[in-house]
Amino acid sequence: MAQRPHLVGLLLALVACGRAGSRTPAAGSLAVTDDAGRAVTLAAPARRIVSLAPSSTELLFAIGAGDRVVGRTTWCRYPAAALSVPVVGDGLNPNIEAIATQHPDLVVLYASALNETAARQLERIAIPAVILRQDLLEHVARDARLLGRLTAHESGGDSVARAVLEALEAPPPWPTSASRRRVAFVVWDNPPMVIGAGSFLDQLAELAGVHNAFHDLTSASATVSLETIAARDPDVVITIADSEDARLPAFASAREWQVVRAVRERRVLTLPGALFGRPSPRAAAAVAELRRRLQALR
Amino acid sequence: MKWVGLAALAVFAFALAVLLGPAHVPVAELLRSPIVRELRLPRAVLAFLVGGSLGVAGASLQALVRNPLADPYLLGLSGGASLGAVAAIALHVGGPWALPLAAFVGALAAMGLVYRLGLVGGVELDPRVLVLAGVVVGAFAAAVSTAIVSLSEATALRNAFLWLWGGLSGANWDTVLALCLYAPLPLAVLFAAARPLDLLALGEEPAGYLGVDVAVLKRCVYVAASLLTAAAVAVSGVIGFVGLIVPHIGRLLWGHRHRALLPVVFLGGGTLLSLADTVARVAVAPRELPVGIVTALVGVPVFALLLRRWTRN
Repeated sequence: MAQRPHLVGLLLALVACGRAGSRTPAAGSLAVTDDAGRAVTLAAPARRIVSLAPSSTELLFAIGAGDRVVGRTTWCRYPAAALSVPVVGDGLNPNIEAIATQHPDLVVLYASALNETAARQLERIAIPAVILRQDLLEHVARDARLLGRLTAHESGGDSVARAVLEALEAPPPWPTSASRRRVAFVVWDNPPMVIGAGSFLDQLAELAGVHNAFHDLTSASATVSLETIAARDPDVVITIADSEDARLPAFASAREWQVVRAVRERRVLTLPGALFGRPSPRAAAAVAELRRRLQALR
Repeated sequence: MKWVGLAALAVFAFALAVLLGPAHVPVAELLRSPIVRELRLPRAVLAFLVGGSLGVAGASLQALVRNPLADPYLLGLSGGASLGAVAAIALHVGGPWALPLAAFVGALAAMGLVYRLGLVGGVELDPRVLVLAGVVVGAFAAAVSTAIVSLSEATALRNAFLWLWGGLSGANWDTVLALCLYAPLPLAVLFAAARPLDLLALGEEPAGYLGVDVAVLKRCVYVAASLLTAAAVAVSGVIGFVGLIVPHIGRLLWGHRHRALLPVVFLGGGTLLSLADTVARVAVAPRELPVGIVTALVGVPVFALLLRRWTRN
């Protein structure tokens, strides 16, 4: 017990040091705090960026910093200009050496345990990394501004952020909430996985004037029983496909899925992953597209 | 008395699986509700059949290789099944039966390979070589499927592992019917081998002197147990612990005679998996837990308790 005050004092001193360090960066440098709570300081705006998440690659191009992207993942296929950027991995377990060969002065990572380890490894070879968690549309706006600062594209970042926030605050198309149709996003069929309130898809549904039947789940996605989907009885089942083809997903013809009314009545929407696979600055376009497809299904 | 208790427990577990679920169905409407008729009931039957099959396969393989750590997946079947499933997705084989069939074929291929490696001198099946062959074939198949998944670009492949980790979400009357037509033959072969398996526990040579054709016995038991496991993997993925722990619980309570043990582990395995699946569906509703985690959470404490009681005496 006697040692406790010392420990607390030591911790406070350490925290104070950390704060003091991040508050007084060298002249002309850029300091931000990323979504993993790490203080990231750049000596100058980033000129060579390796982006290891499709959402951040799209965002960098959207704010006008696309010419600075020198490495991407195999999944970063939007916009088309991104396809000419060299691939350095699949973004799940970053290959530090492959990243280093591009001589980046900034690496953008999605928030995950593996990526936090990768960020520490990159720090050891003096490559700054920023960890961004992009699950909701607010995150797109926030990260647009953050990447704008780090690349000296503040106005580009700001206008993307404003566009996303504008889409987010747009009034819903039909105000009567009682008559709204209910949808369920089924992202995997066995075991069934659905989208909850922690995902941008839940937001897109609200903005398109329908209600996510699994809005009560706070996480981005969750495994549920098929029985639960049947009992919640959504009017439309929505899936996301990598490819553009609008065929019905394979589970729509599985016998056990016929208990779900929307599947039985073939009210299944397949959305393209390019627009709906991640939170993106094209939120307004995604909302309009979702609304159009839902109306076509009537 | 023990038999009555076990039978009552089995009926209780099955009834619970039908009565309880994340969706509220009034008791009066149980038989009319499509949720019960098309989802809960086939899932409960499938859980019981798969759990029972895994219990019998585990008990027989433990007797065959005379190793208490043997479980139905030890002989490379889970690795083969995952390779089959991953290959089916990578080659874009469609249809609701593609994944189970591919997993079944993969498991059978692994079984054939392990069998061939386990044949010492081309004739005699050596249990020790069989175990080693099973481990390396399983590890190799798992490595190949992981390589395919990490090099591929389809999201579907990453999710193939979710399916393989086990679960009864895909249960319907077609899968129940397929298993009902398929499982009785290997089960009958194993039940018929009960007496020779008792003698095998004395050692291969003494068993031979007592009139057991040891070479034929080993082949029949190996093939039948593997066929049973392959079907279980095909309909429900790799569900751990049932095939390992239930045979041990059965031996602790019923002794080592296979004539009693095999029916006991069938009922016990079915009971454990039914209970575990009910917990998986209900405990965190509307979410669902992976059933393999629940079998471990339920089965391991029961096993530890019995083990303590048994070692004290």
